[in-house]
Amino acid sequence: MNGHCNSNDVVDVHINNGFSEIIIDTKKSTVHRQHETSRKEAEDKSRLPAIEAAYTCILRELGEDTDREGLLRTPLRAAKAMQFLTKGYHETIYDVLNDAIFDEDHNEMVIVKDIDMFSLCEHHLVPFFGKVHIGYIPNKKVVGLSKLARIVEIYSRRLQVQERLTKQIAMGISEALQPLGVAVVIEAAHMCMVMRGVQKINSRTVTSTMLGVYLEDPKTREEFLTLTNKS
Amino acid sequence: MDQPTEPRTLPGEPREDGAPAVNGAGPGLRRSEAGCVMESWREERTRSLEDNERSLPSLAAAYSSILRGLGEDPLRQGLVKTPWRAATAMQFFTKGYQEKIVDVLNDAIFDEDHDEMVIVKDIDMFSMCEHHLVPIFGRVHIGYLPNKRVLGLSKLARIVEIYSRRLQVPERLTKQIAVAITEALQPSGVGVVVEATHMCMVMRGVQKMNSKTVTSTMLGVFREDPKTRDEFLTLIRT
Repeated sequence: MNGHCNSNDVVDVHINNGFSEIIIDTKKSTVHRQHETSRKEAEDKSRLPAIEAAYTCILRELGEDTDREGLLRTPLRAAKAMQFLTKGYHETIYDVLNDAIFDEDHNEMVIVKDIDMFSLCEHHLVPFFGKVHIGYIPNKKVVGLSKLARIVEIYSRRLQVQERLTKQIAMGISEALQPLGVAVVIEAAHMCMVMRGVQKINSRTVTSTMLGVYLEDPKTREEFLTLTNKS
Repeated sequence: MDQPTEPRTLPGEPREDGAPAVNGAGPGLRRSEAGCVMESWREERTRSLEDNERSLPSLAAAYSSILRGLGEDPLRQGLVKTPWRAATAMQFFTKGYQEKIVDVLNDAIFDEDHDEMVIVKDIDMFSMCEHHLVPIFGRVHIGYLPNKRVLGLSKLARIVEIYSRRLQVPERLTKQIAVAITEALQPSGVGVVVEATHMCMVMRGVQKMNSKTVTSTMLGVFREDPKTRDEFLTLIRT
């Protein structure tokens, strides 16, 4: 595969080193790739007033007094906070990764675990947060370790569902590195379930994506899960 | 004609008439017959379920424009009903404005000849930061020394719910809980400790993952007598 995904191309991916059974659902990926850089950082400032006005309206409709001291600048702060929490739309992984892929003759598992992750539930606009564990088996190419955390940041700082987030991280790594396998596990608490709705305080949602040898070989998968201390 | 009762204070507590209005203020601000401005947070201005229904379309429209402003496509499958869900969720997160302390408490105050400390601890609390509209969550520990009157235990948790399900700052939340219990029971003393994680500090800004904010309010003997305070703080720790 070419490894250079233009956000406007329909991508039909066949990877020859063991992912052959994974074909990206092209319709879905187009829709999501349209959001890869759907917002330019420079536009943030110009979009702020509209978001600010929306928050002012929200405060009023909730019955609050927008003129009281504590709320005077809240619309602006909330708008900026929301832009920060969705800053993943500014970047693609190629902006972050391009310099930090190195040729190494290493084909043992590489794991970066306990990466703190904060995202926004796209259904309720309420945070969900937790930890991401990433493992991959390089195929002559390794990536700078912090770049794995940056990939998590790019995809998590968006309006997300946990399943899609997990998959996007895994696909992002596999497209960039063409490794022998990628494994991503996310364990998160969803405030939409904790603070409202069913209100189950201790519930955690775990999702995982296994690609390549992690999918095919149970022993490799087990090694990853043990090393990331799933218990 | 409704004459709001004068707020009761414990010995040594400064009166707070004339202090700036805090959350719950606004159109509900009322004047007593004497003409002085009552602090509306004592008056529990209420939002009704009908108000909620009426506000929902504008709230949803506001959330739609937020989604567009963030660069998202409000018509994609996952987001189509999000404005409505987010609006309803936000109304739930601020449902403390719909309730009055007096409705929750009136039946559950009992005369008991008990004058030892009563503590309810580890009450899960969820609130919204009024500065960033981002969740705050943590635990509340409440202790009080009854003076011939005790309160149904779950009512302490309900008081926490009423004040926490609002746009808050932790200092005010802690104080409101303490003052509400004081006014309802006139106990010898009240202690409230709130320990919370602020998503506005964790998810953005300084991004300190493990930080916790602890605020406390000690009234009556909890303030005056260090031994009582110590006992309370030890018991909530264990």
